[in-house]
Amino acid sequence: MNEIYGLVRGPLALAAIVVFVAGLIFQARRFFSLTSEKPIVLPPASLLGKIEPRSGPSLDAINNSMLGVHPFLTVITTIFHVCLIMLPIFLLAHNVLLYESFGFSLFVFPELVANIITVIVILGGVFFFLRRIFVYRVRAITTLYDYIILLIVAAPFLTGYMATRQWFDYDTMLILHILSGEVMLVAIPFTKLKHGLLFFLYRYLMRYEHSLGSGTRVWSYSKSVK
Amino acid sequence: MADQEKKPVDTAAIAGMLKKKEPEMKRILNYCVHCSICAESCFLYMAHNGDPQYMPSFKVINSLGKLYKKKGNVDREFLEGIKGLVWGNCALCHRCYCPIGIDIPRMIDFTRSICRSEGVYPEQDGGESWL
Amino acid sequence: MIIAERKPLEEIKDMVKGYKKVLNVGCGGCTSICLAGGQKEVNTLNADLKKDLSSENIVLDIDAFVIERQCNYDFFEALDEMIANYDAVISMACGVGVQFVAERYPETPVFPALNTVFCGADRDIGWFEESCRTCGECVLAETAGICPVTRCAKGLFNGPCGGTRLDGTCEVDKDTPCAWYEIHKRLQAQGRLENIIKIKPPRQWENQTRRSLVQEDYKQRYIS
Repeated sequence: MNEIYGLVRGPLALAAIVVFVAGLIFQARRFFSLTSEKPIVLPPASLLGKIEPRSGPSLDAINNSMLGVHPFLTVITTIFHVCLIMLPIFLLAHNVLLYESFGFSLFVFPELVANIITVIVILGGVFFFLRRIFVYRVRAITTLYDYIILLIVAAPFLTGYMATRQWFDYDTMLILHILSGEVMLVAIPFTKLKHGLLFFLYRYLMRYEHSLGSGTRVWSYSKSVK
Repeated sequence: MADQEKKPVDTAAIAGMLKKKEPEMKRILNYCVHCSICAESCFLYMAHNGDPQYMPSFKVINSLGKLYKKKGNVDREFLEGIKGLVWGNCALCHRCYCPIGIDIPRMIDFTRSICRSEGVYPEQDGGESWL
Repeated sequence: MIIAERKPLEEIKDMVKGYKKVLNVGCGGCTSICLAGGQKEVNTLNADLKKDLSSENIVLDIDAFVIERQCNYDFFEALDEMIANYDAVISMACGVGVQFVAERYPETPVFPALNTVFCGADRDIGWFEESCRTCGECVLAETAGICPVTRCAKGLFNGPCGGTRLDGTCEVDKDTPCAWYEIHKRLQAQGRLENIIKIKPPRQWENQTRRSLVQEDYKQRYIS
């Protein structure tokens, strides 16, 4: 057991993190190589008339956005994703390991908060699982791959929670937790989970009707952008 | 169907077209997380009472997605079959919204061009009056 | 829908006669629907041109291609890649498409194969009828959905001219119903006859210079 623990907590963990970071960099570079800056041409001022720059989106824009059309889903998915990303970074146990390995650690959540966040993530996972099964239009495009990915994401949180609660054999749970976390890290850059990175690249950099940023990039694999 | 060619589909040519655009089509298609949030942004989906056949992701996954899965190894019947998805079910109005930012009409356009390359397109005067 | 019809073959032939390699680009939008410039029509024109020119012992090297819309550059990527191979282009899109192609490839001659005739509706397969002349100042609210610009021979805005025949047809052309008689009938049926009494001031006819617009909701995105 100790050897396995040493393996997963040591070299495998490092390898997983390296693959994760390298994979994300690779995906980002690929995104930039597939797109190019397109010069923006503005319409003449006379067409725009007297428009005061607005600081945020209009009420119309909000009503037609994801928040307006799917308020319930948007709130749930936002909370789920924020918790999912924050928890591994600011968990006490992870920061202890970070400190042991590299001599520094980050801010940590109090344990109660960490437990609540874990439960939120697990409940979110259950919500998405049920949604995949019971919502017709989601089911229409769902494949086995989607369920496997959901499992890959849920597994570290489930096993982590079970380990801290000391359900079943602690050592086994811990090793399963670390392994499933490594599987998830490695899966992120190479499966649909890369939407975590791409969401920001797409929504802020690409030029299309719903872009969140100024959006100056377009698809130009053929490099004939005018 | 008088004018459309009946010769076998050139699968190598289709495979070539698919391969050439693989980075921006197949890979981006793989980024789709199957969330179905694009559904309500399509007026055709809304007008057809939430029929998933009109959902932007459904249209692309079951036309271009299938073309990529089969690596272009399709017959004329397959292309005629996806005609409905990429012409009848889509007006290329570009109002669809993807939370990840996938450009769905771009993929529908590409799928249409693959069909056109094999002489498969709506017969406007045969009653298939699609845009 | 924009409705167009193919120019006489002689006219198109004269445009492309002297070019070695020509590309005929169709449009998957309006001209496909109005059966003037879609994929089938592109192939037909190419065949007609080749046949006609071969009788003059000219071999025309002409290719066919269709893009979904020639009025939006998002659809031009495939065309961008092939344009360098051709000395000239025939466009079977409406006038908008022809100009858009010409603007994008200023060094390549672009020839219109169609005459863009009107904005109209589909009556039946192959039969289209003008309904709108895009004057920019729609009065259909007051004329019960009958456009006096397109339907009245004199383009009157304030009631019939007095030349309406007894059977309700126009004095200019007896095959055309008098638009104002039709308007009166419909307004009466809807109980809105007071609209016919309203005097409309002389029209400014602002559709004679190039128009451009940004939709109200989208103006914000262009304020830097």
